[in-house]
Amino acid sequence: MKVEMSNYLSREKSKLKKIVDTLSETFDYVSLLGTDTKGKGYGVQRTGSNLSDSMWTERGFVLRIYNGRFYSEYSFNQIEEDLDAFIETLKNRFIEEHQILHHANLKTISYPILQEEAITKSFFSEVKIHPQEVSSKEKIEKLTKIMEEGLSYSDHLIDFRCSFEEVNISKCFISTKKDLEQSYIWTQGSLVAIAKKENKTKFYYDSYAGLKGVELMDEMLEDAKSIVDGALQLLDSDRLIPGEYDIICAPDVAGLIAHEAFGHGVEMDMFVKNRAKALEYLNKPVGSKHVTMHDGAQAASNVSSYLFDDEGTLGGDTKVIDQGILKTGISDVLSAMTLGTQPTGNGKRESFERKAYARMTSTFFSGGHDQLEDMIGSIEKGYLLEGVMSGMEDPKNWGIQCMLMQGKEIVNGKLTGKVVSPVIMTGYVPDVLNAVEMVSEEVKFYGSGACGKGHKEWVKTADGGPYIKTRGRLG
Amino acid sequence: MKNLLKQILTSMTNIDGWHILERKIESSEVFYVKDAIDMNRMKNVHHFDVTVYKDFEENNNRYKGSSRTKIAPTMSADEIKEALEDAAYAATFVKNQHYPLIQGYGEQSVVMPSDLSNKHLIDWVPEITKVIYKNEDTIKGINSAELFLNRNHYAILNSEGVDIAYDNHDVELEFITNWKNEGEEVESYKHISFSDLNKEQIATEIQTMIEISKEKASAEDTPSLKGINVLLTGEPAKTMFDYYLTHASAKSVYEQISTFKIGESVQGNFKGDAVTITLEPMLKNSSHARPFDGDGLQLKTTELIKNGKLINYWGGARFAHYLDLEPVGNIDNIVVEPGSKSIEAMKSEPYLELLEFSDFQMNGLTGDFAGEIRLGRYFDGHKVVPVTTGSISGNIHQVQEEFYLSTEIHQINNYKGPKTMQLLNMDIAGN
Repeated sequence: MKVEMSNYLSREKSKLKKIVDTLSETFDYVSLLGTDTKGKGYGVQRTGSNLSDSMWTERGFVLRIYNGRFYSEYSFNQIEEDLDAFIETLKNRFIEEHQILHHANLKTISYPILQEEAITKSFFSEVKIHPQEVSSKEKIEKLTKIMEEGLSYSDHLIDFRCSFEEVNISKCFISTKKDLEQSYIWTQGSLVAIAKKENKTKFYYDSYAGLKGVELMDEMLEDAKSIVDGALQLLDSDRLIPGEYDIICAPDVAGLIAHEAFGHGVEMDMFVKNRAKALEYLNKPVGSKHVTMHDGAQAASNVSSYLFDDEGTLGGDTKVIDQGILKTGISDVLSAMTLGTQPTGNGKRESFERKAYARMTSTFFSGGHDQLEDMIGSIEKGYLLEGVMSGMEDPKNWGIQCMLMQGKEIVNGKLTGKVVSPVIMTGYVPDVLNAVEMVSEEVKFYGSGACGKGHKEWVKTADGGPYIKTRGRLG
Repeated sequence: MKNLLKQILTSMTNIDGWHILERKIESSEVFYVKDAIDMNRMKNVHHFDVTVYKDFEENNNRYKGSSRTKIAPTMSADEIKEALEDAAYAATFVKNQHYPLIQGYGEQSVVMPSDLSNKHLIDWVPEITKVIYKNEDTIKGINSAELFLNRNHYAILNSEGVDIAYDNHDVELEFITNWKNEGEEVESYKHISFSDLNKEQIATEIQTMIEISKEKASAEDTPSLKGINVLLTGEPAKTMFDYYLTHASAKSVYEQISTFKIGESVQGNFKGDAVTITLEPMLKNSSHARPFDGDGLQLKTTELIKNGKLINYWGGARFAHYLDLEPVGNIDNIVVEPGSKSIEAMKSEPYLELLEFSDFQMNGLTGDFAGEIRLGRYFDGHKVVPVTTGSISGNIHQVQEEFYLSTEIHQINNYKGPKTMQLLNMDIAGN
């Protein structure tokens, strides 16, 4: 079923065009991004349930103008009835704020005027089951059934929490040259088992996400037992003895490494600020020949797959690392202008209220030719790492922090059944990537999380990869 | 818009209650690369979050269903009605144990004082820019910065007569500092928030981070250590208290996540320093200071944990009702009493002091804590060496029976308390 464009944005389009056209008489560049995102989040747990609008729900606009020296933006979510007077107010706000900064003799960066090619294009995704086709009641009932099944498996369970979220993003981008529209739906879900034995509390989860509709819920139906088993196993887990080990990273952990280790490190606004070590390594080896990594809105089909980014640049597929050689970064439009490169369609905003930065979309390692059982068989003493809790980037100095749910012990080429939890993996990124010596075939994607830049600016991203065998420092 | 919402909600016969949270935000934002402005932004937005409630009974049990929806100011009356009817339908099968909404206590409006209210937000930018780039050291040391000046208006209304409003300001400053000695250039990250303009505080925070970057530029790899005393200083010490806050919440107790009981020790059989935490809704210069919580409850200073024993559960009206308690409300500011040891005393024997992490985390549910070390100071009994890389991990149950808090206190936005926490006998994953 095809996803439709927001009626609101379609209705307001002539006004938005008038705003852009009128302001273009004063400013050399004007663009306007309109967003109308609707979504709902459903959750059930032992003590109750909830159903509310998704945190990603928003309706508003952001205007960007060239003030003769650099770019200024204005975020708003009301258009006054007297459109001419409203446009005049917008114009005056831009001029006044720029004059205050100018008269204070503050240093400013000088940008050229953004040159755009004329494009008129639209994209409307398709889903098997549109969220409107299934009632809220049915979705809550489905989640409740999964929860009840989960809770029935063990008396050690404090809770078995099930959630599902559906989000329909509609955006339009208008400038003097561009007229772009898109509407797409992503969904995500999670199942979390929380178990307790004496003083020890542990949780285990799995997540689900995609450029999909309510059909995603079907993927969640069969997993309750394995998730409960995972939590119970963690109750008997030990703490890891800190040290350096041979490790196999499951696809979710491989995705986290791709995201934290190199994704953030090649966001090219970091190149502009001289905050990225990657700039020194372009066309140089950063990993073994088994390492190939992509990012791009068109590189995969997941929660951050779109036609155009929040600056009106068409999304693409960027090969960041090719067989161990760092090839290029991912870019927003202003960073590309500064660096003299082409924007890659990675200019993303948390919402219409926030600035656009160079951000990841779907970031992943390509598959190889190895089998998981051979990878396990090749390890004398090490761990199979699974379950992502969080990660943190260090683009300047290429450190990496991955907080992981568990490590399954491998001794003499076999899983022993012993589990350590939690696990923190740290290290120097090229050391981790240079040590990659085996890579499995199938690539899996994970899109249920959100990515911050530093400690804010949350956006939807997906990441993934195959199983990879490398060496890492665990604590 | 607010009146239209009230009018529609009061006319709906299929709901048993409603709650409106109105937020208006006006902001000026400036983004710097080195000491030059890269972009400026303005924001003027208006939001409404509306929750509708439906009471119902099943098998002689009373339930209160609810659903929250976001109402954009550009929605037509028909669109608003449709969104609210949709929420009302959802509330009929969202099944939560019954609880009462906060009762009204008269119309109240509070304007929280701030220097920032004296002029237009953009007019503060030149002054603050000069504070950020105060001298040659800061111009050389700051890689980039982002400044957000926000003027906020909040109003909370409900069907039971709550009708309150407050206005405040907050400032966010994120900055990256660099330094290079003979080795690689290093960077440090800092994000600070506050409610009033304290130029001295901004200058001090920046200077401190530049000093940290200088130290980091000459840091060696952290060695693997066994049984070392660890001093967590600054943000990581603050983060450690997240465990106690999570487990002292009425919600966690109701959900059986927490077994904390009023009057009982929250630290086991401890022989180190006892934890004493007070919730302070109007903590000076905290960007989280507010007179009312999201339910509309009037907040007051509340003892949470005293000498290691739980005094109160914190939380909103719903979960307090489930535990048959008067609600304390949702208060985001904590004051932790100082401990028994000076930082100097903590440093009288070998230690690893950890000041900066990639992202130090305390899991409030499990008590697990961990982080990758970005800057530490290792004292082996002879000399102090700055160190970087490696990690620490542990669990609160392993450390809480004997940790020590510094006598020295400081404020980090919504936290006022010990600067340093001393953990005994820790293992460090290093080189």
